[in-house]
Amino acid sequence: MEKTTIPGWLLEKQEPFNGDSGGCACLRGKPGRRGFVEKTIESIAQVLRDEFFAGQIAGNHGLLQSIDPRVKALTTLLLIIAASLIRHPLTLIVMNLWVLLLAKVSRVPVKIFFKRVWLVVPLFTGIIVLPSIFNIVSPGDPLLTLFKSNHQIHIGSWTLPNTLTITRQGVHGALALILRVGASVSLALILTLTTRWNILLKALNMIFVPQIFISVLEMTYRYIYLLLQTAGEIFVARQSRTVGRASTKEQRRFIGGAMGTLWGKAYNVSEEVHAAMVSRGYTGKPKTLVAFKTRAMDWLWAAFIVLVSLFFLGGDRIVAR
Amino acid sequence: MHIPDGYLSPQTCAVMGAAMLPVWATAVKKVKKTIKTRYVPLMAIGAAFSFTIMMYNIPIPDGTTAHAVGAGILSIILGPWAAAISISVALAIQALLFGDGGILAFGANCFNMAFVFPFTSYYIYRLIAGRSDITAARRWVGGLIAGYVGINLAALCAAVEFGLQPTLFHAASGAPLYCPYPLNIAVPAMAFGHLLIAGPVEAVATALVLRYIQAANPDLLTVGSTLAREEAHGYSKLWWGVGAMILLSPLGLLAQGTAWGEWGADEIKDMLGFIPAGLEHLSDSWHALMPDYSIPGLDGSLWQSATGYILTAIAGVAIIGAITYLFGKYQRRADQGKEMSN
Repeated sequence: MEKTTIPGWLLEKQEPFNGDSGGCACLRGKPGRRGFVEKTIESIAQVLRDEFFAGQIAGNHGLLQSIDPRVKALTTLLLIIAASLIRHPLTLIVMNLWVLLLAKVSRVPVKIFFKRVWLVVPLFTGIIVLPSIFNIVSPGDPLLTLFKSNHQIHIGSWTLPNTLTITRQGVHGALALILRVGASVSLALILTLTTRWNILLKALNMIFVPQIFISVLEMTYRYIYLLLQTAGEIFVARQSRTVGRASTKEQRRFIGGAMGTLWGKAYNVSEEVHAAMVSRGYTGKPKTLVAFKTRAMDWLWAAFIVLVSLFFLGGDRIVAR
Repeated sequence: MHIPDGYLSPQTCAVMGAAMLPVWATAVKKVKKTIKTRYVPLMAIGAAFSFTIMMYNIPIPDGTTAHAVGAGILSIILGPWAAAISISVALAIQALLFGDGGILAFGANCFNMAFVFPFTSYYIYRLIAGRSDITAARRWVGGLIAGYVGINLAALCAAVEFGLQPTLFHAASGAPLYCPYPLNIAVPAMAFGHLLIAGPVEAVATALVLRYIQAANPDLLTVGSTLAREEAHGYSKLWWGVGAMILLSPLGLLAQGTAWGEWGADEIKDMLGFIPAGLEHLSDSWHALMPDYSIPGLDGSLWQSATGYILTAIAGVAIIGAITYLFGKYQRRADQGKEMSN
């Protein structure tokens, strides 16, 4: 298969235009901060860029790309369930390392993998669980005492204890949560990066998902591009027509109008698509063209994953005891 | 509000997924009955619309931006059943393609955002809009309130799901296994953000879109009502009942007892009845399945058995790593062979 690559200059992160032409500066709430129009255009571009990368990686020749998609979907689900039943951070660390190896033999670029998992998860989940390491949320054995006072502090109906400590139970729970979220996100990411979307959908249909969901999913996936493009054009048009500063009321009216217009356009498209489908003989029962074949390797892989899950769960019960 | 995997126990995810099954089944049945083939492209594009709406950044007063979910507006335009399917599909694409929301937690995310949210919004909107004129102010005011209440109720459900985790699932040492915050922290924390920021954003977005459609394309507002007519009798009472139950279940929990979130697992069992029974059964069977990791002859003292565990663990990890590597290597060679023969 021919490999497609994006030219480097398309991937460079563009600095917001700060010149004196004022084309976009007018929409900024504060100097140096980008306005909602630019942010929207950027988030639309980000979605398209991510999707392009996923398509490229799915075309690599790696381990998971070659496994039958039905087997792959089920084994991934099994591994995610195993990850969510594991209790001890140590087991989770080992599992995460193994998942990293899995990504490597599936030729998922480690850089992208790290950026999507280990830059995002500790940041978001870390901030959320940070307060839980203290004894206010997780009472238990103190690891480190930060603060001691002689009188109790009352805030409304809450009573704060007179010492503030980091507890073993709190740290344990927080670590386990971050590592578990990391493992689950990694597994889901590997599944979707190594499988083409239309193939994954057909695999889901053969496992347990009803046809109407698959039909809607397949069409949605295509129309997301159309609607993203339409939305992007609405915003670019707005940006290129704007001179001066728009009032907040004006901005809000624009957003409402942009959403309403998008719905209007989408609705028209759906009517046209329906007419086109019916005129081509659509009766509500689509036919699929891809036929799946399981090979010995797929069964071997499935058996291996079952063993791996049991190993991690069993090992975890021993460690956590 | 997208819950990633790892925050909720698999048991909770299973219960939430099971709760969504009848909703999806009924939605599919209704949708098939009403407009037949026309519905597939309409729902697909509705889902794409809902996905795209979440990309829109909406300016909020302090100069930053937030985004709306769009479940309220979609349920008003399409009716709640079609909206439930469309939003589920949008959530599936977000979970599978972009890692936004977990795969195990998919049922829980759908329950909050594709069931509670659109149904609440839809019925509040219908209640306020009544039989008023398509262009009446009552319609967009209804949308405003519907969006606000809908997103807050969905957030409350998410908060209750989070808040039950530390009470239901913790290790023997007391360390929480999943989301560490009990109800008395989870509910106010979620309520704060949603009552003050996400709620107004959703409300204003819903109202603005409704006003725009009223002015520019009023016909679009009749789509939902023609689709909704058939469902108006028979099922609506059932769903009011379900809605009341959803409302009451967290309230019942909050009202119980004096100390916030200090109930034991047994009390929760009495209050809820269903989750822990399955959980206990599950954990028992897992224990029965687990083999003891020990090396014969090394299971005497604590030290010996500990060494045994460590040795078997290292060996196990090494074997798993090696097999994974071999699978990858075999695959590469198979591919090379194929390329040569081509």
